[in-house]
Amino acid sequence: MAALPRRIIKETQRLMQEPVPGISAVPSETNARYFHVIVTGPEDSPFEGGLFKLELFLPEDYPMSAPKVRFITKIYHPNIDRLGRICLDILKDKWSPALQIRTVLLSIQALLSAPNPDDPLANDVAELWKVNESEAIRNAKEWTRRYAMDN
Amino acid sequence: MKQQREIEKEISETIPLVGDLEPLSTLESEYTEDPIYLLKVKDLSSKYKYIRRTRPDGNCFFRAFSYAYLEHLLTDKNEYNKFYEIAKNSKEILVALGFPQFTVEDFYETFMEVVQRVGEQAGGSPEAIEPVRSELHHKFNKQGYSDYIVVYLRLVTSGQLQTQHDFYQNFIEGPRTVTEFCRQEVEPMYKESDHIHIIALSNALNVGVRVKYMDRGEGSQVIAHDFPEGSKPLVHLLYRPGHYDILYA
Repeated sequence: MAALPRRIIKETQRLMQEPVPGISAVPSETNARYFHVIVTGPEDSPFEGGLFKLELFLPEDYPMSAPKVRFITKIYHPNIDRLGRICLDILKDKWSPALQIRTVLLSIQALLSAPNPDDPLANDVAELWKVNESEAIRNAKEWTRRYAMDN
Repeated sequence: MKQQREIEKEISETIPLVGDLEPLSTLESEYTEDPIYLLKVKDLSSKYKYIRRTRPDGNCFFRAFSYAYLEHLLTDKNEYNKFYEIAKNSKEILVALGFPQFTVEDFYETFMEVVQRVGEQAGGSPEAIEPVRSELHHKFNKQGYSDYIVVYLRLVTSGQLQTQHDFYQNFIEGPRTVTEFCRQEVEPMYKESDHIHIIALSNALNVGVRVKYMDRGEGSQVIAHDFPEGSKPLVHLLYRPGHYDILYA
């Protein structure tokens, strides 16, 4: 494997020294481009009290292209689908090399605080979120209890 | 869409990021069956002798501009000194605008490393310049270096647009703000450049750029635009729909 770019080394050090509050991101021991991420469900959101596991991978041409991120823990959210894929503009066409892993993690945290059913990835969830928000929030809380609180 | 982009990417990767100097006549051979373009190539060849092609990957304006300008600086010490001051101060402008210091610094350092290497021999004898010129060519063809330079110029362009947003807002179609435009069309890699990018970058760095526009439009002349208007062009680019290459007199 090619040497790890200076940029990735520096970003990893900074993430360890000054972690994003409510988020832990630890590089895998065998692959420095692969991070184990745990996001704490934000306060006053239906995800409060949950711990959500994600995986984050820095592709070969990072930072020219965006990190690849996926939820591993099941989550009931209009912008996250069954496979854990996340609908977030900076992970797609608005990625810029001036952004960093930290920005991505903060944006994911913000997405949990403010689900956006008008730009859905999980259509059935988004639909319910729009027509019956209180039921959708009940489902989200139930999934959080069931899948994100087992330990 | 995704598949089409991947095919385009594959084709474009067979073309060097920045190619060797070629006589302008190679352009003629591209258009043997095309009388409109042939007339225009003829017009172009009355003013230019050589062309240097760049990879059509959406970054070609930034890559062509920086290559041609740094190459010019090798022969122009005064211009180098002027540019060095502008380049040196550019990072602070970006950080003040709210770009993350940490990532901006990373691109800035690589950019300045290349600029300073040019400065070591700027205005020197042809024998002294030649090794730096070939080093420059080599660096521009190394994806890591080359893309870092492109990123930094994209950030400088975005910085200029945001600093003078009242002025640039007039160039943006639709309801987007200047900042939104920058996030969508300037800062991401592989997004193609339009007039507004060229105006902003040439103003930010105070560098004159002449673009010769070659398309199917009427007449046999290839129309030139100078950015900023009325400036003395130090960089000459050929535009064909969707792509920029470098021209040499």
